[in-house]
Parts: sequence; C-alpha cells; structure tokens
Amino acid sequence: MAHITINQYLQQVYEAIDNHEGSFCAELLSFKHPHVANPRLQLASPEEKCQQLLEPPYDEMVAAHLRCTYAVANHDFVEAYKFQTLAVQSFLRAFQSHKEENWALPVMFAVTLDLRIFANNAEQQLQKKSKGQPGEMLEKAAEQLMSCFRVCASDNRAGIEDSKKWGMMFLSNQLFKIYFKINKLHLCKPLIRAIDSSNLKNDYSPAQKVTYKYYVGRKAMFDSDFKPAEEFLSYAFHHCHRSSQKNKRMILIYLLPVKMLLGHMPTHQLLRKYDLMQFADVTKAVSEGNLLLLNEALSKHETFFIRCGIFLILEKLKIITYRNLFKKVYLLLRTHQLPLDAFLVALRMMQLEDVDIDEVQCILANLIYMGHIKGYISHQHQKLVVSKQNPFPPLSAIS
Amino acid sequence: MNRRRTPRRISHSQRRDAPAGGYCRQRSQEQWRGQDEAQVREVEDDERRQQQGKETVPQGACQTMCPARELRDREAQNRLHRFEIVAGMEKVRRPRGDPLRAVKEYSRPAAGKDSTNPNDLRPPAVLLKTVCYLIDDIAASPHLHPWTEVYSFVFDRLRGVKQDMIIQRVSGLHCVAILERTVRFLIYASYRLCGEPLRLYDPRINDTHLQENLSWLLDCYVTGTESYPNQEEFQALGLLYNLGSARASQHIMELPERLRSSPTVTLALSINRAFLERNPVRLLRLARRLNFMQSCALHRHLAACRRDLLLIYSHGYNSRNCRFPLDTLAQLLSLDTSPAAQLCQAYGLEVNQENQVVFSKAGFAEPTQGDLHCNLYHNIVAEKQRDLTIDNIIHGCA
Repeated sequence: MAHITINQYLQQVYEAIDNHEGSFCAELLSFKHPHVANPRLQLASPEEKCQQLLEPPYDEMVAAHLRCTYAVANHDFVEAYKFQTLAVQSFLRAFQSHKEENWALPVMFAVTLDLRIFANNAEQQLQKKSKGQPGEMLEKAAEQLMSCFRVCASDNRAGIEDSKKWGMMFLSNQLFKIYFKINKLHLCKPLIRAIDSSNLKNDYSPAQKVTYKYYVGRKAMFDSDFKPAEEFLSYAFHHCHRSSQKNKRMILIYLLPVKMLLGHMPTHQLLRKYDLMQFADVTKAVSEGNLLLLNEALSKHETFFIRCGIFLILEKLKIITYRNLFKKVYLLLRTHQLPLDAFLVALRMMQLEDVDIDEVQCILANLIYMGHIKGYISHQHQKLVVSKQNPFPPLSAIS
Repeated sequence: MNRRRTPRRISHSQRRDAPAGGYCRQRSQEQWRGQDEAQVREVEDDERRQQQGKETVPQGACQTMCPARELRDREAQNRLHRFEIVAGMEKVRRPRGDPLRAVKEYSRPAAGKDSTNPNDLRPPAVLLKTVCYLIDDIAASPHLHPWTEVYSFVFDRLRGVKQDMIIQRVSGLHCVAILERTVRFLIYASYRLCGEPLRLYDPRINDTHLQENLSWLLDCYVTGTESYPNQEEFQALGLLYNLGSARASQHIMELPERLRSSPTVTLALSINRAFLERNPVRLLRLARRLNFMQSCALHRHLAACRRDLLLIYSHGYNSRNCRFPLDTLAQLLSLDTSPAAQLCQAYGLEVNQENQVVFSKAGFAEPTQGDLHCNLYHNIVAEKQRDLTIDNIIHGCA
C-alpha cells in the first residue's frame, strides 16, 4: 500500500466510490493512513491524472488531496490547508448529490478532521512569522465545517438508517474544539440546540458522545451552570474508554473543580492516579478552611490552572473555604451566639490583612443567603446567631 | 489551466494569467537559485502575499474629513447636520456645508455600492485628525447643546471612521490611537447619558459598538509589534466594563505577567474577584480607588452590585427584632443617607423613624422596571470628574 503507483491508487479510490465503501474511501483520503507518505503520490499537479480516471467532483477532491500530501511533505501547512479546504468543498458537492444515502459519512469525518488539524498547523506557522490574525485560519475552517453541518442537519428526507444526520455530532465536536480554542464559546449554543432537538442524540457512538458531553460540560461550567456541568462531565468520565487515560485526565481537570464546588472532594489516590497533584493542596485547603493555603496553592500552580481555564472557577472555592473556616470557629466556641470579632480573628490568622468587620458581615450575609449557614446576624449585638439544628448544612445538600 | 509545468516548483498563483509582478518574482528566483529550497519558497510566498495585499486593499486618497462628493450630495439633498454648515447660515433654507466642519457619514454597505473608491476613503492620518476634531470641537465644545445630539453626531461619525478603517484594513499605531479614543468616548457616554430616554440614547446599541471597538483594540494589542503605552489602561477598562464575564476574565488571566501585575490591572482584577465572590462591600470599597474613566466603565454594574448587597443583607439580617443603622448602610453603599433610604424603599425594605433599616427576606422585592433611576446614585462616579474636561477625558490625559 505504501508504495503503490498513482494509477493503482486512483483505481482503488474509483472502486471504493463505485462500491460505496465509505470506510475504505475515507482511509484513502485520510492523513492518518500511510499512503500520504508515499512519494509517488505526492504530486504538484495531479489534476490531469485524476480527471482521466475519476468523475467530477471526485477528481477535484482527490487532486486536492494529493496536492495536500505534497504540501505536507514540504511542511507548508498554509498551502496544505488551502488544498484541504478544496477537498472538503468538492466532497461536499458530491455529498449533497447523494440523495437518501449516507455511505460517505466516514469520508466526511476524515476530510473535516484533517481540515481542522491543518488549520491549526497553518496558524502556528503563520504566527511564527507573525502574520495573520490569531484565529483567522481556524475561523475559516469552522465556516467550512458549518457548511457540512448544515447539509447534515437539513437531511430530513432520508430514513434514519440512511440519514446524514448521523454526521452532526462528529462535526459539532470538531467545531467545539475550534470554538474553545479561539475562545468563542457563544457559538456552541446553536450546535447544542440542534443536537438536543435531534431524535438521534442518544444513539451516536460512545466515543462521539463522550467528546460531546465533555465540551457541553465545559460550556456549562463557564456559564456557571454547575449542576448540569457535573452531570455532563461525569457522564464523559464514566463512559470514556478505560484505556484512554489521557482523555480521562482531561475530563477530570474540569470535573474536579465542579465537584469541589458542589462539596465533593477528590481522594489523594485519584489525584495521584491521574497525575493531577496540582489539585492536592487546593483540596486540602478547601476542606480545612485554610484560606492561606488555598491562596498559596492557587498561585503556585497558577500557570497550569490558567492554561486549563479553571483559575477563576477555583477562586470560587473561596466561598466554601470561608464556610469551612467559620464552621471551625463555631466548633471551637461551642455556642449559638458567635461574636463577629471571632471571625475577624480567624480571617486575620489567614493573613487577610485588609479585611474589617464590615466585610466579615458581608461574607457571613452571603453565606447565609447561599444557605451555607443557617442563622442571622445581629448588628446591635455584633453577633452571628446560628440555628440550634444543623447550622452548617452539608455542602452536598445545598443548591 | 493545467498546462505542463517546468520541473521547478512554481507557486499556485503564478500562472500564465498571473497579474504583473510575475517578472520580479522570476528574478528573485534566479537570485536565490542554489540556496535552500524551503527558504526560496518562503520568500516567494511572502512576496506573493504582499503583492496580493497591495492589489486588493483599497487605499484612501481623501484629504478632508468629508469627501467632496458626499459634501456636494448632502448639500443638494439638504442632509447636512447643523454642526456641519457654514456659520451664520443656520436659518437659510438650503445652507452650504463648511468643508472644515463636515464629516463623512456612516452609510450602510449595500449591494451595488462601491465603498472602495479612494476619493471617498480617508487615509489613517486623516482619520485620526477627524477623530480629534470630533472630540475637541464637538464632544468637548461648551457651545453645542444638547449633549444627546452631540453624542448622536459623534457616534455616527466615529462609526464612519471605523468603517473606513475596516475597508482599508488599517492596523498599527494609528488604528490603536483611533480605537482608544472611540472606546473612551463610548464608555464616557454610557455614564453621562445613563437615564436618558431611549429615543435619545440606547444603551444596548452603545454597548454593541463599545464591545466591537474594544475587542478590536485588544486584538491590536495582541497582534501588534509596537509597544502600546495605554495597554494597561484599556485591559483594565475592558475587565471593569465586562465585570464577571468569563471571557473577559480569561483574557486578562492569559496576559503576560508583566501586564497582569501592573497596579491598574491588579485593582481591576481585585474588583472582579469581589464581584465573583459576591462581596459588594469590598467591591464598592475598591471602586473608590478607581479614576474617573474606570468608574465610568464600572458604572453599569454598580446598580446590580448595590442590589446584591441589599439582597444578601435581607437574608443575613433577617430577624424581626434586629435593625441596621441607615448611615452605616449608606456608607457601605457609597451613598448619602437620603438616596440610600430611597434605594432601600425601592427594594421593598422598610426604613423606620429612627433611621434604621428593617431587613427582611420576605420584604425584599425587585423594583418594577423604570422605578429605579440609576442617575440618582451617580455620586460615586460624579465626584471623580471634578474639573476634568471632556477632551482631556477622551484623549486620556486625565
């Protein structure tokens, strides 16, 4: 396979298309397949050859693919991206003419996946030469993917078996990857809506569903919808294949903060297993109510947390840390009428120097409002009066 | 198109029908022969892209703020703004336009309209001059009233400036200088016109334009190669204006440490953190340290912040026998006692004879729309303006 001639290659493509062998055809057009390293196929102008053997628009698609292998061999990803776009466009023309059949879906998966990857590489190459706007290439790639998505989503005529709608989740996953990368999360919304309203949403392949839930979970997390975020990310974590440790780790990076916000602390064991010890001190600090340690842990691993985009979410753990610290004050004083000064002393111990009694009251009022403390503040007596029953309800019972 | 090629690689666009300029590429190929192939290709690519850039991007040639043709047309159609006509002709039925005061209008792109004619486009330097005119002679003029009309004129003409920049793909220092002033103007307007009737000032439209200009400006900082002395200021303004937005916060977090740890950005970040922790007491306290422009940017969040304070205090101090002194609350809210009492009442909270607030979970109620007049509570911003003039504010010399 690796050293076939151009004629043999084109013959194989011809037969794959003729017999509607989607997966084989996809291999022949995918950069995951070894044929792309075959120098006999890396041609600068394969158009004529392709025209001789293939019908339009397939000839154009394959010619673009071969031109692309040539560009990749030269490490020119800007050029590669250009030809991959052409390949996707010609594919889409063919795909649209396939009425009530969807055998070509694997081909779409292959060419669109490569398109995204080349857009990424092209962008890096341009950045190195400090050219082009950041995100420009990826945005253009997203447009192409969107036109594929529209074709899939609007296929209402075909029966379920032959529907192009089976391509929707794969495409939205690719689009999510781009939108997260270029920080345009609002663009995810219409995709999520389209999938949600589709009757196939539970029947896509497990791999696609895991990816999908991962991104939808992350999106929910950034919208501060922590309950659904936990649900989606937990689904992704539990259904992710056990051999995909790297992916499970990626899911955990987002699932952990959400779980912590909802009061579930990860075990040391889990953190070690997935090499996520960056969270160890954070976990410890939150459960102990140790604001000082929390601040230290956050600044120590700041770069990691910022890169993952979870720094701000982790900062929200401060509220729970206050709750745990104040609970300790309550346990120490063993009374239901707690002088506000005691809380101020506790915060000063955590080296929060610029806090005064007004802020203590504000923090307490917020904790009461959120349901973390049952009780009320008396301004006259400068005391927090807590409920005799269960003044600090367990975190998991709240919200 | 698919004619046989020479063995030497020729770039895609270089065909028989390629436009002039092929010759000089050919020559550069000769010169480079023998050198590393990849390098040659890179140079070719660069040249090609530059060439393409020059071929397609329109360049303005109009040296006045308003293209001659537009001035003529608007004169004939009687569509000159009163700020644009020759002094003394205000009462005339068909006044003449003053070429020194007329400014190109924003006009919606439409099919069949050629917006790329060099005579109708102002080059970057003229655009900057136009912006300065709009600030110094219009926005800051003590003679032009009312300011809502000043705003709508400047708003429209700045939009026209932005359009000219987009068509010519202006970037770099000129672009940054123009965008910075536009953003300051729109932020200032969002404060100054707060509470004006919707037909005179629409906060939503102002916000849309502000966000567009701001995100373009922040992109310029990221991609630009020059150093931009006002960058810190605008990074902070962006965060304060978009307080609590995950996107704005993430953007700030990704800035280089040097910028992030500057005092201006640090203060904005602390305010953002107080907002995320829902600690309005801290937020309002930190807000006192902001300068005037920063207060204007934060201004649209102050109402929500005070509401948060009353909401959580209604829960925290929810006890029948407890009272909260109004003057303490007023201090926390950064208000005088009488507007503070008004605000409490707007939220359904009782203020008794002894000037004490009776907080109650059940009593707290969102005011009906239109009942809350934000401009009653402007003191925290207003007192920062002191003797700053509008032109100083918008040029950033404040």
